[in-house]
Amino acid sequence: MIQVLLILHGLIAAALIGAITHQAFSVLRRQPSASRTSFVGRYRAVNSPIFTNAVVLMFAATFVLGGLLYPRYRIDVRPMLEDLQLRAANGIFESKEHFAAVGLGLLPVYWLYWRPPLALEHAPTRRYLTWMLAFIVWWNFLTGEVLNNIKGLFP
Amino acid sequence: MNQYARLKVFSSVYGVAYMGLFLYSELYKVALFRYYPVLGRFDREAIPLETAGPPILWYSWLFGAAVISLALTAIVPRSWAERLGRTWVCGIPAAVLLGIIVYERRWFY
Repeated sequence: MIQVLLILHGLIAAALIGAITHQAFSVLRRQPSASRTSFVGRYRAVNSPIFTNAVVLMFAATFVLGGLLYPRYRIDVRPMLEDLQLRAANGIFESKEHFAAVGLGLLPVYWLYWRPPLALEHAPTRRYLTWMLAFIVWWNFLTGEVLNNIKGLFP
Repeated sequence: MNQYARLKVFSSVYGVAYMGLFLYSELYKVALFRYYPVLGRFDREAIPLETAGPPILWYSWLFGAAVISLALTAIVPRSWAERLGRTWVCGIPAAVLLGIIVYERRWFY
């Protein structure tokens, strides 16, 4: 059961990282000369608001699954990290749980600022909120991957 | 936007409340409740490690932060919430993230 939850947690996190990264790129300031035919230009030229509800739902789902997996981590993984004296690994996980909590708290206001109709004067707020959420998602995704594969990375 | 302006209060408060509860737990070794995964139950009291295994306090910080944020969201008048601008809405969570990075550096030395 725990393996199923872990795989599901990873799969939803991968989908979330795709959605939030697309949206984070789309809110970058556009240069007037920027080509819309290049790969980056097309990557950014998406209809950003359509990602909002998906991001909120996937963040919440990933968070809940992570919460369900946490007891197993506390019993099996953390003592192993302590035995191996991998302090930094413990530290990045602790940052992950704090960042996840801050991200959860950000979701209501993120959703609010991405609600149509999108006011032009709120564009910078949307941008900063999206970047903060993207930072949290990327950090937590990478941390999860490193910890999941830690025995292979630090044999 | 105005209809849901109070969401700005919730989001501004949640991260601060969470980190406040975390730091309070760190300093005074107390928590609203603990979850003992070995026993599979919640408890308000700290049970010795040998009997109960390691506790999880994270759920209590999340729960406590949700209660504080919801209470403040309900109390703060909508007109005040509407006035919360970008500085508050983005600046507070950004400051909390920065605070986490600074505090958690202790693991890397």
